Parts: sequence; C-alpha cells; structure tokens
Amino acid sequence: MKTELYNFFKKIIFLSVLIIPNIVNADFFEDITAKISDNPKRLSYGISVADIDQNGKYEFIVTGFGYPNLALSYENGKLINIANQNIFLDESRKTIGVAACDVDRDGYEEIYFLNTDTYSGTKKHSDRLIDLVESKFLDMFEIKKNKEDLNLTAGRSVACVDRKGDGKYGIYVSNYGGPTRFYEIENKKIKDKSVNLNLDKVTGGRAVVSGHILTDRSDIFAANERGANFLLKNNNGVFEDLAFNYRVDDVIQNGRGTALSDILYRGRLDIISGNWQGYHRAYVLKDNQFKDIGNSKFDKPSRIRTIISADFDNDGYDEVFMNNIAEPNKLFKIRENGKFEEIKLETGLEADGYGTGAAVADIDNDGILELLVSRGESKEQPLTLYKAKIDKQTKYLRIKPINKFGAPARGATVTLLSNQRKHSKTIDSGSGYLCQMEPVAHYGIRKNEKDFRVEVKWTNGSKDIIKINSLNQTIIVNQK
Amino acid sequence: MKGNLLKFLVIFFVLIQFDSISEEKNYHKELIADWSRIFPDQNRNAGGPMFFKYIIDKEITYKDFKEFNKLYCAVSGSLIDPNAEPDFIYAKESKTGEKICGSYYKCCIPCSCDIMKYSEVEKMKHKFLDGLKEFYVFTIRNPCNKKDFPNRVNKNYFCDGENINDDQVYSLNDKLVIGLLHEGENCKKNDIDFVNSHQVTGRFCELRNNTPLENLKTGMGDIFIKLAR
Repeated sequence: MKTELYNFFKKIIFLSVLIIPNIVNADFFEDITAKISDNPKRLSYGISVADIDQNGKYEFIVTGFGYPNLALSYENGKLINIANQNIFLDESRKTIGVAACDVDRDGYEEIYFLNTDTYSGTKKHSDRLIDLVESKFLDMFEIKKNKEDLNLTAGRSVACVDRKGDGKYGIYVSNYGGPTRFYEIENKKIKDKSVNLNLDKVTGGRAVVSGHILTDRSDIFAANERGANFLLKNNNGVFEDLAFNYRVDDVIQNGRGTALSDILYRGRLDIISGNWQGYHRAYVLKDNQFKDIGNSKFDKPSRIRTIISADFDNDGYDEVFMNNIAEPNKLFKIRENGKFEEIKLETGLEADGYGTGAAVADIDNDGILELLVSRGESKEQPLTLYKAKIDKQTKYLRIKPINKFGAPARGATVTLLSNQRKHSKTIDSGSGYLCQMEPVAHYGIRKNEKDFRVEVKWTNGSKDIIKINSLNQTIIVNQK
Repeated sequence: MKGNLLKFLVIFFVLIQFDSISEEKNYHKELIADWSRIFPDQNRNAGGPMFFKYIIDKEITYKDFKEFNKLYCAVSGSLIDPNAEPDFIYAKESKTGEKICGSYYKCCIPCSCDIMKYSEVEKMKHKFLDGLKEFYVFTIRNPCNKKDFPNRVNKNYFCDGENINDDQVYSLNDKLVIGLLHEGENCKKNDIDFVNSHQVTGRFCELRNNTPLENLKTGMGDIFIKLAR
C-alpha cells in the first residue's frame, strides 16, 4: 500500500514538473524606480545609452518633448541627471528620437536628437547633433557651414550606420511625410547623402535598425507606416530596397518598435518588428526570404511602441520586452527553435502606462541589465526602472567592441560560441522605437555551458575570435 | 478511484501541454503578409478576383480554402475581420437559373445587395490536398470588353486585351470568378423567404437595388456595379 501511494505521488510530482513551467511564472521584474533621483512626471520619448561626458561610463539619455533632455548617470546607488547645459537640455524643442555614434571619428560619440514639432511634413525646428568639445556641448548643425541641409521634416527614429565599414558613421533619419535623410560628415561639413545613396524615399517613417542583416556590411531595416517597410541591402555603401523580395514589406501594417535578434540561436541576426495594432513579426531568414515565425501569443495586435530583445535574467535565453502605450506591457522568452514563451508580468506591466520608449544597459555594472522605460505622449508620467529578479549565482559575459577610432562599434555583430549555442547580438545602432541600447553584447550563461569563444564581426565584415577564459566580466575587444 | 484520478490528471496535463504547443493557422495574418503579392500596385478596388486566384493557387486543404475565402469581400476587395459574421443570401446559378443559397462574407451591408443582384454562381470543382471538392463560386461576366470599365479598378489585373487574364485571375466558362459562396446549395422556399424578409438582404437591398446608379454613395458606390453589370 505504502509503495503504491509512493508511486502514485511520484507520478503526480512528475506530471506537475511537466506542467508548472507553463502555468506559473514568479514575478520577473523588480521595480527599482526609486533609484532615479528627481523623477517628476513629464513627457519623455526615446532613450539612448552612451557616454556623454567621456568618462568611460554610460548614461541613459532620455529625450523630453517640451521637457529637458536628461543624461542619467549611476552614482552612489542612484540615477542622477548630469546634463545641465542648455543646448543639451533644449527644453523649448520637442525631442523624440535619439541615437549616438562617432560621426567625426574622434573616438567619442556624438548625439543625434531628432526634434519633431508636428506629426507629419514640415516642422519648425531642426534636429541637433551634439558634440562635446572641451567640456562644452555644441550643436554641429548650428555651425554656419552645416546649415545647408537641416532636417525640417517631422521624423521619428534615428540609427547610426557605418555604411562603408570604415568607422565613419552616418545617421539615418526616419522621417514622416517627407524624404528619409542620411547625414554624414564630408569635407568637414555635414551633408545629407540620402539622394546619392538611394535612401530619399518619402514614407511614414517609424523605426529603424542597422546591422549585419543580409550582408557583411551594415544593412538597414526601416519599419514604416502607411507604406511598405524598407529592407536596405548595403551594396558597397549604396543601398537597394529588397523588402518585397525578402517578404518583409508588410505594406498594410503600421510599423513600430523593431529590434535585431538571433531568434533561432544560430549565429545570425533576424528581425523582430512590432506593428501598431497589427500582427507583430518575428522574421527569420530562410531560403532568401524572411519567414514570420511568431506564435499567436507573440503576434497578437497591440498598441506597441518599443521592442527590446535582451537577456534580462541571465539565463542564456533572450527575452523580448514589448512596451505598449496605454495597454499592459508584455514579455516573452525566446526558447530553442524560435518558440516564444510568454512570461506573465506583474511588476512592469504598466497597464495604465503611456510607454513611449525604453532602453537597456547594465548601468550599475553588476552584470544584470537595467530596463529604463520612458512614458508620456498624452499624459505626463515619471520614468520607471526595472531589473530582473534573479539568482545572484547566475553568470554573465559582456562584450564591448571598440572600433579602430576608439569608439563603440555600433553595427558590429558579436557571436557567443559554446558547447550549447551560437548566439549573435548586435552592437546597437538604434532600435526599438525612437531608442538605442547600450553598445555592449550582454550574455547570460546557460546551465552546464562551457567552451566559450566570442566572434566579433566588425562593420567592414572582418572577424576576430577571442577565447574566453573566465566569466562575469566585460571584455573590451579592440578592432585592429 | 485512485486510478480514475490518475487518468484524469494525465488527460488534463496532456491537454494543457497540447494547448501550449498547438498553433492554429492564422489565415488573416497570411493574407496581410502577402498583400503586396496579391495587389502589386496596392489597388484592391473590386479586388475579389485577385484574392480568389491567390487562394486557389495555393497548395492547401479544402478547409484552408474555405477559411481564406471568409476573409475578403468579393465585391470590394477589402479584408474582412476574422470575427465577421456572414449574410445568408441567394444568387442565380448561371447554368440552371435556379437560386442557390449560402453564406457570403462581406465588408459592408450594401455588398450583399450588389452580389445578389450583379453576380451569378457557378459550380466549380478543384483538387485540394485532401481531394477533389465541389463548391459554388460567384462570377461576373467578362468585363474586359466594357467601354465604361471603371477607371478606379486596375484593368491590367483582370484583362489581357478583351480576354480575361488567366495568369492573374480565375475564370470559369469565360466568366470572372470573384469569390466563394460558402455552404452553397439549392434554396428551399423558407430560405428564400428568409432572405427576402431579412432587414438587410430584403428591405435594405430592395431600396438599394432600386436606387439609380448615380445616386449610390454607400458600399463600393458604383465601382463594382459598373464592373459587373
């Protein structure tokens, strides 16, 4: 009798173990918003992560729509705004998009602030390209010689593109109701090169990402509204739109948050693209076409804004954070074979949150990513900050590629090779909606994982392989 | 008792596991993803024939065929919400002149009137992955020789000169197939009474069908009618 009962309960326990992962999720995030000093209600939009004061530490750059732009630095356990110069704060303009990269090849990143004071078409105030010169911020667009090609069209997102792979970044400006722009410094002058590069199309531009999508150079995917998406193949620095051929044009959906993600853990970047109240896409490349493999939980239409693909809980599998506006946020874990498994959120749900942007960075340098969410649009709300609740014993590895000019190699691809996976991550050039993540590939480590190597594919397509001897560190890889 | 409990738990767990891995085909999502392949110039006015051709050319089961055909309006070419309910209607069968009753998925109320008045149904056979099936399709006469071919409809979609372009649309007995009549069968008297007395297919359609063409403002206006009359 005793043995029978024992066997019976053993079966119950076995079945319970099978089922529990599907029905129970402990609260994933911890709300650490209190770490933000001075966090008033405001209208915030895009967030970037860059080192604004050239001290080797990253800050969250948070845009303000009629509110000051912020640079939140982690100091003494708090996120503190360190921006105090008017040209950076720029409270009179309405900033929504932001991305940082080294456009002048001095080894430090300039910051592109996209201002938009109208929904579509012609706007009053142009964008800013902020450079730090002798501890003072200046707007490169305010220099007389750079005023010829100001962007006076409403826009949304921006991304950095090293189109020739030579470390000379240009800025793709996703405009709305006017031509796309592509700014580069040429003969010491900022020029819009969009016409020469086949980029000057008029659309309802929303989101843009750049990286090794199709070629060994920086390609571009732009998610648009009221028109087809663009998939811009880099042909020696000039672009060709192949969205239709690759089946990612999604012409009657309205694009929003977009991210590059190695959905199948196979060592290549695929595309996650959210559509405003439409089907969210998980595009994986197969036989020269992208196939949407998002399941019905993942693709369910929502009021989507930013999408982030990152390993928040350091388990070696990426999560996808879907930031909705005035609708609960969602979180999915990408399991093997591209299976999206929903993680029910309690903390971070923000059912009444007007989410407008979000970014990740290990801002406190403890090996776990922080998620900063900006909110606003139709209701002033404070920022929120989250971190996954995880076992401190989990391990991580962070790879920070630096290009030959000493700047973050945005657009490079890092691939972790181990006995269990081949997992690529982009060094973010601009992603989500209006946003840009930290320029670091952050990997959590799986159970029983070993034999680590890391491959860095630079923006010119060349590769370096590094053997990893120990975990729980940030490794800086310098381009030769 | 213990054995039954165990069986129940096993079934319960298996069902939940199955639910978590099973994934139903999303026909609506597929049509949206392929929109630019169905309508290369984005003009879907009166685009039912383009949808039908796209669907019939797929290697699918009969169930898939029926589900896809619930999601566009044969009259307007609009996509239809996956939760939309059809109207019960009748249309004349070309060959016999008899009324065939069935369900029509529409994007707007006037479309039900237009399809009943301006289209005819034909019996069609097609081999699907699960075998040869027979069903009724809505057809209109070959519009390609019309002098007043509506200019808001892309004639190149449908026509190769004065002939129907079989590469881009489907024709049956020189008629253009515009959509599927679901569950079509010969009408019974009470079916006809139901349609004729229904507030939409009866009263509203009588009013619409007696309105001069130039006064039609609802539905597709006069576009489909000009194409089909």
